[in-house]
Amino acid sequence: MAAALLEQVINGAMTGSVYVLVALGMVLIYGVMHVLNFAHGVLFMLGGYLCHFFLTRLTGNYALAVLLTMAALAVVGAMLERGVFRPLQGNLRNQVIASLGLILALENLAVALWGPNALQIKVPATERLVALGELRFPLQHLLIIGVTAAVVAAMFVFLKWSKFGTALRATSQDRNAARVVGIPVERMDVASFALGTALAALGGALVGPLFLVFPQMGDAPMVKGLAGILLGGMGSVPGAVVGGLIIGIAESVSTLFLPTDYRDSVAFAIMVLILLARPRGLFGVRARGEP
Amino acid sequence: MSVLAVQGIEKRYGGVSALAGCSFEIPGPGIYGLIGPNGAGKTTLFDVIAGNTPPDRGRVAIDGADVTGLAPHRLASLGVARSFQECRVFPEFSCLENLLFSGRRQGAGQAEARRLLELVRLESYAEQPAAALSFGQRRLLEIVGTFMQQPRLLLLDEPAAGVNPALLETLSQFLLAMFRERPSVLLVIEHNMEFVMALAGEIVVMHQGAVLERGTPQAIQASERVIEAYLG
Amino acid sequence: MKRLVALAALVAALYAVPALATPYLLHVMVLSCLYAIPAVGLNLMLGYTGLVSLGHIAFAGIGAYVAAWLMVDARLGFWSALAIAVAASGLAGALIGAICLRFRSHFFMIVTLAFGLMLYSVMNNWDDVTRGAAGFPGIPRAPGFTTLESFYRLALSGALLAFAIQWRVVRSDFGRILLALRQDERLALAKGVNAALCKTAVFALGSALAGLGGVLLVSFLRVAAPASFTLAESINAVLVVIVGGAGSLAGPALGALLFVALPEYLRVAAEWRLVAFGVLLVLITLFAPRGLAGLIAEGWRRVARRSQ
Repeated sequence: MAAALLEQVINGAMTGSVYVLVALGMVLIYGVMHVLNFAHGVLFMLGGYLCHFFLTRLTGNYALAVLLTMAALAVVGAMLERGVFRPLQGNLRNQVIASLGLILALENLAVALWGPNALQIKVPATERLVALGELRFPLQHLLIIGVTAAVVAAMFVFLKWSKFGTALRATSQDRNAARVVGIPVERMDVASFALGTALAALGGALVGPLFLVFPQMGDAPMVKGLAGILLGGMGSVPGAVVGGLIIGIAESVSTLFLPTDYRDSVAFAIMVLILLARPRGLFGVRARGEP
Repeated sequence: MSVLAVQGIEKRYGGVSALAGCSFEIPGPGIYGLIGPNGAGKTTLFDVIAGNTPPDRGRVAIDGADVTGLAPHRLASLGVARSFQECRVFPEFSCLENLLFSGRRQGAGQAEARRLLELVRLESYAEQPAAALSFGQRRLLEIVGTFMQQPRLLLLDEPAAGVNPALLETLSQFLLAMFRERPSVLLVIEHNMEFVMALAGEIVVMHQGAVLERGTPQAIQASERVIEAYLG
Repeated sequence: MKRLVALAALVAALYAVPALATPYLLHVMVLSCLYAIPAVGLNLMLGYTGLVSLGHIAFAGIGAYVAAWLMVDARLGFWSALAIAVAASGLAGALIGAICLRFRSHFFMIVTLAFGLMLYSVMNNWDDVTRGAAGFPGIPRAPGFTTLESFYRLALSGALLAFAIQWRVVRSDFGRILLALRQDERLALAKGVNAALCKTAVFALGSALAGLGGVLLVSFLRVAAPASFTLAESINAVLVVIVGGAGSLAGPALGALLFVALPEYLRVAAEWRLVAFGVLLVLITLFAPRGLAGLIAEGWRRVARRSQ
């Protein structure tokens, strides 16, 4: 039992890490721009496809392919900010609807370009097993957890101590005040979108080798990432990390008691229940969207 | 039995105390000014009375009945109407529709709505969407809307803020006319001293979440404690 | 009066379609009706009340599966099953809506999305009752409506009923309240509106209409499958409402026609069609927030002005 539990906790930490990457990107964009981008999941999916493309057609080196993917999607994110989300600023409903349009467009674009069938990204780290006590995990699992931990750490350092990160935080706390003290607010918007999208791309590129690359691969991580954000407290970066991990571990551990098929429902039920008890989530300071 | 009785209301936001044992009674119809420095807790008190915010402690009674913590729509049906500091009207409804919606449960119809619009000289805008009005005109429309509810207790939150002097005169006269027509309790938060001192028969001064002083406008203007509170 | 005549003529023309149409066109028209019915429900919620539900089609699924179970396993007749299934969707809408409506704005959207996915998961996985991913087979068509032509008349009647309900609601005091809630909920509360009750009521009504659409859909397809009630379908419902024109009476009809009928005649692959629709949705939010109905109304006004 203990071993089974540990196994599920580590599995959960892996999927949870993916949710954290998605949630971090969304929370960053939400914090700075107050935009909730439901299309974040399809950007994650594009991350998987682009990584496959760069790996097989261009570099042959996985790490390099991941970095190229992040760079490419950062550009896409910046373009979406300029072209779609900036003109809709302040209109929550239309932003959400536009992001639904992007889901439809990009998911089917992937089908049109790469076909409906899943692609495989072959990297050695999925084959190599690492022993942890009596349990064995693919190296890719641990790689995902490690990379996410590093990203989270880097993010905290960046937001806390770098000049740019401070400017981002200032913009997220009070746009007008930030503008008054000379922070180029519009540039912060583009930066947060580019960075957030790059994180989604990283998630897709990391998960690709493990679970195949297919047009709907971003749907579940997007919704779970959202659940993580709500759970952690809308707009809170530490909340997104903790929330994403809770969702990942809870759904993984639930498979010990419930049929695997209900894993997703467990994650959502936990989210709804916690939110009913704590409307602002675990770390929520401000419940934006409240009247 | 007082129309409004507020007893020992306390409300904290995080570590900040917005209301700290606020108590007062309003026995009967009249225009009452509610003044006090910024942060004295005036708007929070309105939110508590109108049911927008439940108090941490204390009691609100209307006509002797305990209404503490009732939802805003229940208080509205008990005859409490309010305007908002930030000025709220239904932007897509026309002026007339705004008023008809406000008065729909009191059966105040078209004729009444048009009569009141005329009193504030908005009759030519009757069919215009409220979004097309200037800020001052929207403020007037909002206040006319509260009268369509034929309230026993009317809470006006800074009615004069952002209204230009010409409209201000219209507003003053409208409030006095409506009060003469159907005496009720008007409780008016206001920072424009000239406006509120001319309008109100009695002034309640709040400071640090509680009532500091009350009296006639003359007495309040002469009060050392009130001046100190504003300067301190 | 003129409008009434025009409307009567339109309805008569719609009922006459089978006399002229190919089976293929008729099939497309049936699907348009079946898409329009839940969209009317969502229009009441999203367009008139401002409640952006991202799990709407899951309630169509509830109606569909309840009816399937009643007809196939409990051997109930079509019409009783339809009535009970629509009521069940409405009730589920009231209960789940009451929970979702504890949340606002983004939170509401995400919670409706989560409920939509949970309900989908139940349809997909509760094999004993729903028959799982393969779907619930053997659903009969309504007695007397077994051919394509007759089923078209049934679907059309369902859609017209939905539009009649929408018209009645929008013109009522309740409709005014919904519009007021969309514009400013706090102000509506101060004007004596029981916001929570009214929003739950419209959620229930919208869900019941979704249920009606769901029952007719599975009766047409003869099978209730989870694939008909996915998140993607809920997004499509939002698309139909927005592209048609949220908060306009004819919006859902225009949206459904455009979504179902038009692409059938464009000779491109399905995925490119959906790419185009996704882009169209983005463009509508950017440049024509009132949708097709708004564009048509604007165009009509210009023509009228020029002719004067």
